[in-house]
Amino acid sequence: MMRDIVVIGGGASGLAASISAKKKGKDVLLIEREDTLGGILNQCIHNGFGLEVFKEEYTGPEYAHKFVEEFMDLKIDYLINTTVIKLDKNNDDFIITLSSKELGIKNITARSVIISSGCYERTRGQISMPGDRPNGVITAGSAQRYLNINGYMVGKKVFILGSGDIGLIMARRMYLEGAEVLGVAEIMPYSNGLNRNIVQCLNDFDIPLYLSHTVTNVEADEFKKLKAITIQQVDERFNPIPNTEKHFEVDTLLLSIGLIPDITLLDDLYVEVDPKTKSAKINQAYETSVKGLFICGNSLQVHDLVDNVSKESTRAGISASDYLDGLVKDRKKIAIKPGKNVLYVAPQYLDFGWEDKDLLITFRSSKKIEKAIVKVYQGEALVYQKRRAFIVPAEMETLSFAYQELNQDQDLMIEIEEV
Amino acid sequence: MYDYIVIGAGVIGSCIARELSRYQLKVLVLEKENDVANVQSLANSAIVHSGHNPEPGSLKAKLSVWGNKLYEDMEKELDIPLIRTGAFVVAHNEDEEEQLIELAKTAKINQVPEFSILNYNEAVLIEPNLSKTITKVLSLPTTKVTYPWEVAFAAMENAIKNGVEFKKNALVTAISKENKKFQVTVNNKKIYETLNIINAAGVASDDIASLIENNVKFKIKGRKGEYFVLDKRVKGFVNHVLYPLPTELGKGVLITPQVHGEILLGPNSLEVEDKYHPTTSYDGLAYVKEHASMLAENIPFNQIIRSFAGIRSTSDYDDFYIKESLEYTNLYHLGGIDSPGLTACFAIAKYLVNDVMNVDQKYNINPNFDPYRKKRKLFHRLSNEEKLALISEEPLYGNIICKCEKITEKEILDAMHGPLGSNTIKGIKKRTRAGAGLCQGGYCEEKIMKMIAKEFNLSPLEVAYDKEETKLFVSETKVKL
Repeated sequence: MMRDIVVIGGGASGLAASISAKKKGKDVLLIEREDTLGGILNQCIHNGFGLEVFKEEYTGPEYAHKFVEEFMDLKIDYLINTTVIKLDKNNDDFIITLSSKELGIKNITARSVIISSGCYERTRGQISMPGDRPNGVITAGSAQRYLNINGYMVGKKVFILGSGDIGLIMARRMYLEGAEVLGVAEIMPYSNGLNRNIVQCLNDFDIPLYLSHTVTNVEADEFKKLKAITIQQVDERFNPIPNTEKHFEVDTLLLSIGLIPDITLLDDLYVEVDPKTKSAKINQAYETSVKGLFICGNSLQVHDLVDNVSKESTRAGISASDYLDGLVKDRKKIAIKPGKNVLYVAPQYLDFGWEDKDLLITFRSSKKIEKAIVKVYQGEALVYQKRRAFIVPAEMETLSFAYQELNQDQDLMIEIEEV
Repeated sequence: MYDYIVIGAGVIGSCIARELSRYQLKVLVLEKENDVANVQSLANSAIVHSGHNPEPGSLKAKLSVWGNKLYEDMEKELDIPLIRTGAFVVAHNEDEEEQLIELAKTAKINQVPEFSILNYNEAVLIEPNLSKTITKVLSLPTTKVTYPWEVAFAAMENAIKNGVEFKKNALVTAISKENKKFQVTVNNKKIYETLNIINAAGVASDDIASLIENNVKFKIKGRKGEYFVLDKRVKGFVNHVLYPLPTELGKGVLITPQVHGEILLGPNSLEVEDKYHPTTSYDGLAYVKEHASMLAENIPFNQIIRSFAGIRSTSDYDDFYIKESLEYTNLYHLGGIDSPGLTACFAIAKYLVNDVMNVDQKYNINPNFDPYRKKRKLFHRLSNEEKLALISEEPLYGNIICKCEKITEKEILDAMHGPLGSNTIKGIKKRTRAGAGLCQGGYCEEKIMKMIAKEFNLSPLEVAYDKEETKLFVSETKVKL
């Protein structure tokens, strides 16, 4: 049987995308590899979710539950405990290879696919952290899962590398569970987490934050268990500065050093990838360079707030539905490029064939800027600008403007100007 | 009372155990670690060298050329993974070209079966990413790459099947000899008696010797080597092993394709003070990057998923030291088995057992010796038909546990059982590759932890990463959910 839309991944993103596509009357199948829907939200037992979508504050599981309820009410088809092991395209149709205990290995076909497979945590291997490789160095999200889902503590004396939000949340969580949290080191001169998390998770518990510091040595004991770490201040080029070493005896080093979109499923499809987002390039409809293949949520770009994941994925679900309804025309497209002080932008293309879609550009700055003007140029022409009092890389920025009158031959460039 | 006790279960000890199991002997292998292949055999380049560079006439030369040939047999008998990569040793200028020609002469004297010198234009057609600074290469088609952990598993599993006993977590703490019998004390407690001892303790081999000898004839210095692993997405970036010209420090920083598709960069070669404790360093890893870049253009460093350091048990004796003790008869040492130890392991075992110890003349053949061992194939590498056939018998093949390496629940369960089954996270990783991929176990470790707890009837608090002391958890959460 040919499905209208297959959604891969049943976390915040996949739930929202399925719901919006189903509401448009499409036949949707969602595939989730875990035994429950809701994804990483299930292990995020802290609050702070939902302020934008529901105007109320929820915990992660509560936020997920709101969406799961709606998903169930709409009677959307789904499979759990099922892994997609291959995604391929045959003319206009997608072939999705599933693997599970119940189904074995099975191919299904769909006219459109939405990737909402989330992200994975950067590991110590990817940053080539020097020293021993003992047990006790663990990504913050894995430790969070062990703590909040399985009910076990990974250590009692903890240091955290990286000030990403999961690291900050885990600093507080482990502290409240009785662990000694000795500090957080961040290689950048500014925090990578939301300001509210710095205040509520570190400052409120007197946990020191060492900016422009990184871990420069990891020591194991005779059994290859973590015994101690050394942190060191770094210069502008991130090289350790001699004689700034600080030594901490710890049994756990949590890593919160970045999240990377999980797009390994796209490997067989020759999707155009943006090295900056480490995900597929998209147009304003969240469509990748492969027609009918959409991507959203943290598998597209790593978000700060789940509310934005839900909103983005809702739009992606509607786009997939519009695609099936034949609302897309074959027109020109232009690139949207990151310029001065801009780390990345998504979408990377503006496709005039999707002219009914609003253009919502998300981007991050490459540094902290007070009093900024965000400008969009087409060649020499300034087509849009807005003032921002304060821009930091840790917080995703958005802008939106009407583009239907733009010249269809010249690329757009986004810049952040310091006033 | 044993005929032979083998100390150490790296690739060398495991191959010796298997070789001994061809005879009617009572053999015990003692390993201080919680698994076979856990020190030198754990972290190395995985290359089966052609034998092109050891000093002509040395044991290293003889045993590596012979060992390379034996891998062809062992692929059939023991189902050891082997990729026939071939290798290029590269030269960048006239000076180096001369050295390359000298090296070719060494290869000829060592009876390396095939080799040839190619100019850059010929070589780059075969390896398009070869560095443009290279002028000539020595092509060594018999160079291969294996999977060292599997070499040890295969040899030891086969040895156990043929009657050898294996004890892990068994640190030899004392050795004495009385009335032609050795007493070997393990963990300061249990004493085993044996007529012969084979010291295959690798990095610890001099320390083991010093438990009984007054004047140990070799001293392990320990040279560490640091490496990067590039994710299997880079498969095909190079298909040959790329070597620089060798120096007295060794074969240099290499680029080595691995059997599961990843590519290794490294190693450097640094003498370390603590031979039990090789670590990676900023400088070491920077050195590896810099030197690897002399071999290939545009190395995809952004695909690095891991870095690690291994240790070579280099000794002050400038060849493999494979001899009977000068102080005690029936005590045999394998000292200084550094590179090409993995290449030579099967040949070392035969040389020791037959040429040094004359076991073949002293003991009867084991009539029940079965040389064959079958490894279960990696499920995701099977054809669709094979997969479907297996799944219809065993649905657990459908449940993917490690999504990066696509390892199934059934494969992980299999790794927990059998003669060399493991109940640790690291043991499962070595046997199945679950956790060895892009996310480095971030996703699957929790699932494997739960499987281990269930399968061995343990509390999650008892599940360890490797040694007993490396438990994953320290306590339960204050409030159980």
